Amino acid sequence: MRSEEYRIRALFVDVRSRRTHACEFSPETSREFLGGRGSGTLLLSGRPTLDPLDEEAPLVFSTGALTGSRIPSSARMVISGFSPLTNTVCSSSVGGRLALAMKRSGVDLVCITGRASQPLVLVIDDAGVSFETSTLPLDAPLSRVFALLGTGGGSVAAVGGAAWKGCRYASIMVDGTFSSGRGGLGAVMASKNVQAVKIRGSGAVRTLNREGEEAARRDIIRLFDASPAIMGGLGLKTFGTAALVDLMASRRMMPTANFRRTYFDQYQTFCAGRIREHTSPKHYACPGCPIACKQKAITEIPEFETLSHFGALNENADLDAIIEANRICNEAGMDTITAASSIACLAEIREERYTGPLLVDMVRRTAESSGDGALLKLGSAELARRLGAPEKSMSVKSLELPAYDPRGAYGMALAYGTSTRGGCHLRAYPISHEILRKPVATDRFSFSGKARIIKISEDLNAVIDSIGACKFAFFGASLEEYAKGFAAVTGLDVDQQDLLAKGDTIYTLERHINCMRGFARDDDMLPSRFYTEAGTPGPGIEVPPIERAAYEEALQRYYRIRGCNPDGTISEKRREEIEACRRR
Amino acid sequence: MQAQVEKYLAKLIRHRLVACEDDAALYGLDDVIFSNRKSVPAQAARLFDLLNINSLLAARPEPVLWSVITRLTEDSPQLICPRDCESLTFIHDIPVVPSFDPALLARALNRRKGCIVRDTGIVTTGTVSLEQAFISFSSICFSAVVKLFTDTINALCGYGDDAPPDAQRVRDCLEILDHLAPAPVAQLPFRGIPDSEDEIVRAMDAAGKAVVDAGLVDSFFGNISFRKGDVIYISQTGSSLDELPGCIDRVPLDGSTTCGITSSSELMAHMKTYELTGDNVIIHGHPRFSVIMSMFGGPLEFGETRFVEGVPVVAGEVGAGSRGLLHTLPLAMQEHHCAIVSGHGTFASCSGSFDEALARISSIEIMCCHACRSVLEQTKPNRA
Repeated sequence: MRSEEYRIRALFVDVRSRRTHACEFSPETSREFLGGRGSGTLLLSGRPTLDPLDEEAPLVFSTGALTGSRIPSSARMVISGFSPLTNTVCSSSVGGRLALAMKRSGVDLVCITGRASQPLVLVIDDAGVSFETSTLPLDAPLSRVFALLGTGGGSVAAVGGAAWKGCRYASIMVDGTFSSGRGGLGAVMASKNVQAVKIRGSGAVRTLNREGEEAARRDIIRLFDASPAIMGGLGLKTFGTAALVDLMASRRMMPTANFRRTYFDQYQTFCAGRIREHTSPKHYACPGCPIACKQKAITEIPEFETLSHFGALNENADLDAIIEANRICNEAGMDTITAASSIACLAEIREERYTGPLLVDMVRRTAESSGDGALLKLGSAELARRLGAPEKSMSVKSLELPAYDPRGAYGMALAYGTSTRGGCHLRAYPISHEILRKPVATDRFSFSGKARIIKISEDLNAVIDSIGACKFAFFGASLEEYAKGFAAVTGLDVDQQDLLAKGDTIYTLERHINCMRGFARDDDMLPSRFYTEAGTPGPGIEVPPIERAAYEEALQRYYRIRGCNPDGTISEKRREEIEACRRR
Repeated sequence: MQAQVEKYLAKLIRHRLVACEDDAALYGLDDVIFSNRKSVPAQAARLFDLLNINSLLAARPEPVLWSVITRLTEDSPQLICPRDCESLTFIHDIPVVPSFDPALLARALNRRKGCIVRDTGIVTTGTVSLEQAFISFSSICFSAVVKLFTDTINALCGYGDDAPPDAQRVRDCLEILDHLAPAPVAQLPFRGIPDSEDEIVRAMDAAGKAVVDAGLVDSFFGNISFRKGDVIYISQTGSSLDELPGCIDRVPLDGSTTCGITSSSELMAHMKTYELTGDNVIIHGHPRFSVIMSMFGGPLEFGETRFVEGVPVVAGEVGAGSRGLLHTLPLAMQEHHCAIVSGHGTFASCSGSFDEALARISSIEIMCCHACRSVLEQTKPNRA
């Protein structure tokens, strides 16, 4: 196989000048950064200290090498930029048809810079790029925007009203229902005056070794079928991510009342069984995915994080209100986790509760930036700071924690701290082994061995995001099988350890960019609540506060393993190595 | 991590995978390396440099298992490709490396969970825990035995394309079989039908330990369940049957909770079997000779059934996929209360206590061992 076969095809678009420039990454760079999140991180590293909303700050849409292949669950698009919510490097994986459409248009990556003089719809197809002045109202519900734009057999990414009203966690919605949610990249897109990106392509997607691709596909499907979390009768295939509600409650790690408790005694009002009974949802999938975890009834069924945070985190037992809050977020284009957390934070500071219609009203006001919404749209960290109670924001690096209480899973706790985009569960995804027992179970109440596990998992998930795969696939399959697929599709002579080394480069570069943006050790600590307050006990389960000294020791071990100095910055030796990779 | 090292060293001995502690070296790495060895050899340290892993196991299997592996490496000096379910699903294939050279080992371990080092032993890795290395080690030993015997008896009887084995190979197999022949399973300490939740957990724990002690399952494979009324108690996915307390899910049959998302990948097959049989106990193990005899006669088509010693053998992949054993096993169980899934393992159910199901799995294994011996003894090999 010839390694030069694999080259990332990039399209640079300056929306101010309306100039475009197409090029291919060198084989060495393509091999080093893989695609997807890796490519995005590489482009961000070129101007590492720009303000997130600076005209020149890049917004990168990037596919992975597996997109369009027969390797299952690999149609993810990664969108990268600097986060206006956290000021960190930020990338967000999103499903739908966007990645496949881009790949078919002959492009692997689109990097947008500049600021258009008026709102644009950027159209990318086989013929190239066109800039259409938008005639759509900026505050129109996204369902209307998607209906008016149509997909034309392709796919559309768009920002909603929240982005134009300064919501720092505005999302980019894809095909109406898929969300590139975390970190506020929708606000970045709006800052460029780009309302939508419409992509359509008719080209074929190339695989160099069909036989190898088929062998990898078979191995992966066999592992999917063997995984209870994926294809089991109580897993994602049957119940979507709502399947996790019962489990998190039973493990006493369901964040409740802004993380003051870890169990919500009315969780069954929004568990998977209740949703099925209440809405009879239908399943649908991203292209080429047999899992089909997405659910829709009359309206979209919220994902686990959204159910839990608009439910337990806000002590809200009204399923209709949760579904409506989710619908408003999708229509306005807002990250549901940050939206729900910001409301829970405000409720705690004011010693109030926002449930049912009141909760829905708060979400609506956030989308409109009216009343309390003007404060809520800033996210919980800024909101709490302005109200003189910064400790009430349950966030790391200003990104609100999702629905896994760190006191119930210590790997998760450490991963929240070290995540390069802030309090995020997906950078290392230790829930896989700490809760779902894949690939094997680990002791969730121990830091023993977790520093290296988290480091390896971060590298692994950087690879997953860079090759276009879905993280859920790894509840069954492993990089061993996906590496085989990657090698077959690209023709590169690589294996899982080669890919993990690339993941290490990508992750360390992200951390280095954050360090250049002023982040250091103190930003890797959890909110103080987790070191001082116990969670809610259950049958045979105690949820004590995390011992701060144990957390700090694990963090220092992580630094040594990652190649960082004790203050969390990247060591000089490692910086030089990363820089050498970057310059290839 | 030292506790992990000690735990899996003890399990290697207890599961009769290695002969003594000196034959195994286990390493766990966080920011420093933990080991059962006083010092860490340079090759092991080098492997940790070359691989993004946190666990390493290098051990020589106990003599009989090692003799099996040695024979396979003589036949296939570079790559061994077993066809049993553990291999197809998790191990895929087993690279063979000529020496304990870190660079050569890394090349093999870059792509697979474990490899065989010729004249030396087996090396396996993990990225999360030493348990992964232990599982891979155990699976390689299991798969090697299954492959040696299935290849031999199938070739002996003209199934497949392989040339018939020579007489020495047959004699070797008979000698190995004598060493690995199963003994009848011991009686369980907990007799009778459990009633309270505590009793159910204790009964499942005792039955699980008995399955492991009798060598009817390896590492974290197999599963066990008990039905009481509308609730199934079932071992969790990836739980070791000799460590069940704390690893049993309570799954209501009405689907009112999804807490069982962590239960065994065969949950749906257990549920369907209970529905069709009315039984209240299911035990599933991976007994070697039952698996070997289930592969005798060549691959089984999905939907096809054959019999070994009166026990139905069905095809089916792990889990609930379109070609999953969910669609074949329960129907066979309905009639026979036991079945072997080809290349995978034995299921036995009963309406009563765990003893009965355990005795059934054990007796099937003993019968299959006898059947295997008969094939080896009664079929004329090539002259050596």
